[in-house]
Amino acid sequence: MSEADAIRLAQAGDAAAFEFLYRLHGRRVYALCLRMVGNPSDAEDLMQEAFLQLFRKIGTFRGESAFSTWLHRMTVNVVLMRLRKKTLPVASLEETTEPDEETGGPRKDIGAPDLLLTGAVDRVNLERSIEKLPPGYRTVFVLHDVQGYEHNEIADIMGCSVGNSKSQLHKARTRLRDLLQEEVREQARNDRQIAKTQTGQAD
Amino acid sequence: MQCRELDVFFEQEGLAPLSAAARQHLAECHACKHFFDDVTAIVAVAHQFPAEVEPPARIWTSLRSELVREGAIREFSNEREAAPWWQSFTELFRNRGWATAAVAAVMILVAFMLGSRPRDQVLQVQEDPYASTVTALSQQEHDLANMQLASTGETSAVDTSLRQNLQEVDEFIADCERRVRDVPSDELAREYLTNAYQQKAQLLSAMMDRGGSLN
Repeated sequence: MSEADAIRLAQAGDAAAFEFLYRLHGRRVYALCLRMVGNPSDAEDLMQEAFLQLFRKIGTFRGESAFSTWLHRMTVNVVLMRLRKKTLPVASLEETTEPDEETGGPRKDIGAPDLLLTGAVDRVNLERSIEKLPPGYRTVFVLHDVQGYEHNEIADIMGCSVGNSKSQLHKARTRLRDLLQEEVREQARNDRQIAKTQTGQAD
Repeated sequence: MQCRELDVFFEQEGLAPLSAAARQHLAECHACKHFFDDVTAIVAVAHQFPAEVEPPARIWTSLRSELVREGAIREFSNEREAAPWWQSFTELFRNRGWATAAVAAVMILVAFMLGSRPRDQVLQVQEDPYASTVTALSQQEHDLANMQLASTGETSAVDTSLRQNLQEVDEFIADCERRVRDVPSDELAREYLTNAYQQKAQLLSAMMDRGGSLN
């Protein structure tokens, strides 16, 4: 069965076609949810919600965009809605696309002296930092740098311009660098504290 | 090119390919070079995250029930749905993969509960709270390897994808274990590790399901 056949059959309520579409796209949607919310339990809820919406609305799909784009748009909306309910105050997509000066967005510290991260970034601390990003930045970063979407596809999924997607990604990466640098500093402080305590105990 | 112009370049063009002017500025400006190296490292690590992850089987089961309940789809002509609930429960344990996964899940739960206790208490109970989980998963992997040896050797795209996912989960587990070893007080790293073990148990059971039972 091709995807186009499955969509047509699913629009007629065919159960096997629904399952085919779920199997075809489920792994990618689950990875997106997992990376966006950071824990499997919430990711499961969101994935189920996204597919429920998809199957409820599949009759309205006219093929103007790719089916996967349509599905990802729905998933991103479901995830962002959940994140906005969960984390207040919220940095909305609109807000985070405004110039930094007006929103207190990420500091553009290019050209400023800083701490080198090379060798200090691993998947654990990157995952933790991604979770601290505002939802808009997080979405674009995950879609582009983890899931491999191009800016034009992200613009389609998020309903924004290509320029906006590029700007969001750049800000997300810059903010991640700040967060990771802070984590490295924090770790160094803790290490010093532990060393100090151990020296005190030895004396 | 000035620092600000390079910033605009990174925003519009990304990190690669670099223009001659951008390369020249990076060669002269240490701060911009640090920024470039850091962001490149972040993106490289982000690329290591899997773009696809096998969702737990229960999502589809639950989704399907909801769709049937809402009348969004025609009833699945699946005999198992008409069977009493205890039959599906016993069938679960007839499948070796699911049985092992269930055992692993129990062990993970125990390990997680131990992990959430104060550290001194945990150390008294067990030196390594993940030891039983690792043993169960190793056994499961061993069974899977035996089963693959006995199979015809034909692999589908789904099998390949599952194997890739397993490799990625293994790499993530290694990262988490290293982190937990280096910073034992890092609760979040422990949580990631527990989740990664769960994910591995689910993947192994899915792979065993596709290969059929050993018995």
